[in-house]
Amino acid sequence: MAAKKILVADDESHILHVVSLKLRNAGFEVLTAADGLEALELAQTERPDLLITDYHMPQLSGLELCQKLKQDPATARIPAIMLTARGYQLDPKDTAESGILRMLSKPFSPRHLLTMVNEVLLEAAGGVLT
Amino acid sequence: MTLQTQDTLAVSGAAICGLPTAVLDNLAARVRAGGLFLILLGKDGSPVYYDPQAALFFQRYVLPLLQYGDPTDPELIDRIQKLEINSPVTVWDSFPGVILAAFPLVDRRQLTGTMILAGRSVNFDLAEEVLRVCSRLGLDAAWLRQQAESLIAYNDDAIGRQARLVTGMLKDQLRLAGMDSELNSLSGHLSHAYEELSLIYQISGGMRINRPANDFFKQACLEVLEVTGVQGLGVALSGENTPGQEPVLYGSLSLPPGTVHRLAAQLIPLLKESKGPLLVNDLPNDKSFAWLAKNVHQLMAVPLQRQEIVLGCLFALNKPNGDFDSQDSKLLNSIANESAIYLENAMLFEDVHGLMMGLLHSLTSAVDAKDAYTCGHSERVALLARHLVIEAGLGEAFAERVYMTGLLHDVGKIGVSESVLQKTGRLTPEEFEQMKKHPAIGAKILQDIKQISDLIPGVLHHHERYDGQGYPANLIGENIPLMGRIICLADCFDAMTSNRTYRKALPLEVALTEIRRCSGTQFDPLLTEAFLRIGAEKFRQLLASNPGRVRQLGEHPQQNLRCA
Repeated sequence: MAAKKILVADDESHILHVVSLKLRNAGFEVLTAADGLEALELAQTERPDLLITDYHMPQLSGLELCQKLKQDPATARIPAIMLTARGYQLDPKDTAESGILRMLSKPFSPRHLLTMVNEVLLEAAGGVLT
Repeated sequence: MTLQTQDTLAVSGAAICGLPTAVLDNLAARVRAGGLFLILLGKDGSPVYYDPQAALFFQRYVLPLLQYGDPTDPELIDRIQKLEINSPVTVWDSFPGVILAAFPLVDRRQLTGTMILAGRSVNFDLAEEVLRVCSRLGLDAAWLRQQAESLIAYNDDAIGRQARLVTGMLKDQLRLAGMDSELNSLSGHLSHAYEELSLIYQISGGMRINRPANDFFKQACLEVLEVTGVQGLGVALSGENTPGQEPVLYGSLSLPPGTVHRLAAQLIPLLKESKGPLLVNDLPNDKSFAWLAKNVHQLMAVPLQRQEIVLGCLFALNKPNGDFDSQDSKLLNSIANESAIYLENAMLFEDVHGLMMGLLHSLTSAVDAKDAYTCGHSERVALLARHLVIEAGLGEAFAERVYMTGLLHDVGKIGVSESVLQKTGRLTPEEFEQMKKHPAIGAKILQDIKQISDLIPGVLHHHERYDGQGYPANLIGENIPLMGRIICLADCFDAMTSNRTYRKALPLEVALTEIRRCSGTQFDPLLTEAFLRIGAEKFRQLLASNPGRVRQLGEHPQQNLRCA
């Protein structure tokens, strides 16, 4: 089976490095984007299996990115994990409507993120996402 | 117990002559684009790497020449071998139809091999030597010429320039590879720092003061175990003023309790002395800890300390890959620092709580001391009321407050004269009036202690009746504070089941029947229901328990004296 493709979007390059290192070591194919627009373009052309995105990003916020992906049938089923600042809460309605299956507040444990990625991929494969 | 990140990725697995193969492949492709062939000779002079995608001319003709030697110039390889660390790019055209440029490869001031660029010479023709080599290698000369003609022709000068360009490119490639690996290593460290930070967040999130120390340490140890993968993680407290707990060990490694005790007893004095981390990586050969060697190979311990006072220690046993190092001790130390703050707060809390409970018991003893017959009454009311609260599902925290109210409910009797309290006959109306003042006196005694202001309604209203016929305020039903209704029930029940100056104790069953009969008139019906659910067996135990010893918060010799 081909390696699952994960798109990571964050304007902080150290987060991109840490996350992609962790995911690559775990055998995933990783694409990175430094802002929301770049992530949107990559998601449209590359069709990743999962999106990990920061909430606060220039050009397009993480939430707007997820909403845009949701509107396009080609990318509507890509599940997302949202990274947020500690203590920051998103409206559960927004997250539910834009395919955001998990939230993780920074600074997060990369190990924890990896567990989450595996869970989400399993859920998505199991058809939990409709 | 380094965090299980292992997030460092080498630039590429293998290296040849000190050069990562990824760098070599990259370089070979560029050299190929220039119509040249890249070969590496190892220190023994044999080719250890060559461009796997090189043109057939190079693969079939040049490579064998280098491997087996050129019959026309058998010493060429030896001469190439003689290049030294500082040798510049050197060009040879002694191979028939081929031109070579070579330079030494150096890694950390050591010669690791030679890099050779081979090109088709401008002088290539089917001379006698070329034909001889072709026949030796089984090549068709016409085919070879055809191959050669498709390649760029080099002279000494041109290939020398190319080779110097390649040396520069090689330096850049190595610098990039170094930066890549540095970036990976930094990301690995960062990842490690993230794990650590998130662990500390998690642990400090669990530092609620009113939580038993055992719980806190268990959670902290389990978190650390999960993140680090060590086989055992334990806590030992010094036992001096620390919340008394046995040393514990969590994780996949299980040791007999005696072993954990002995280890703890050995570690604490050592850490009190050193006040710093202790690392034993070669445990079987450590004379102090060799006794543990059957199950343990490595040990690390750090003190739990506040203001230079060692309260205990955290210890980790058996790291799965490698030895405990300074990074491990740094991590365990951070955890220990957090834990020590918690521990100190817990101790202060325990101290203050103990002081308050001690004072409450002293007050209770002072009341009981006035009347031998009611000895232990307050303690039993406290216990009964506590059970009632739990049975009624009102929660553990409220039960604790009610317990304290039970202890204090009769404190106002300090203000009632002993002649009234100890009178054997019926009280006169005046004496009864004096007796009826004790709830208000009690409330007044306690009114200035703000930490227990929530108990006062229970003290003031424990003689109210559900039907409004009680005192001091004649409150009715739900208007009587809940604490008052609870204490009232417990108080009456204990009074009925104890000997009094004016009568003998009633049998338990009779008392319970009486309680049931008074539900709705004297007592809150819902509370009565809950109270009766406690059951006769439990009541017998409660009433028989030695009240002075029920809670291990201090003993009350004067009370026991009077009881005897």
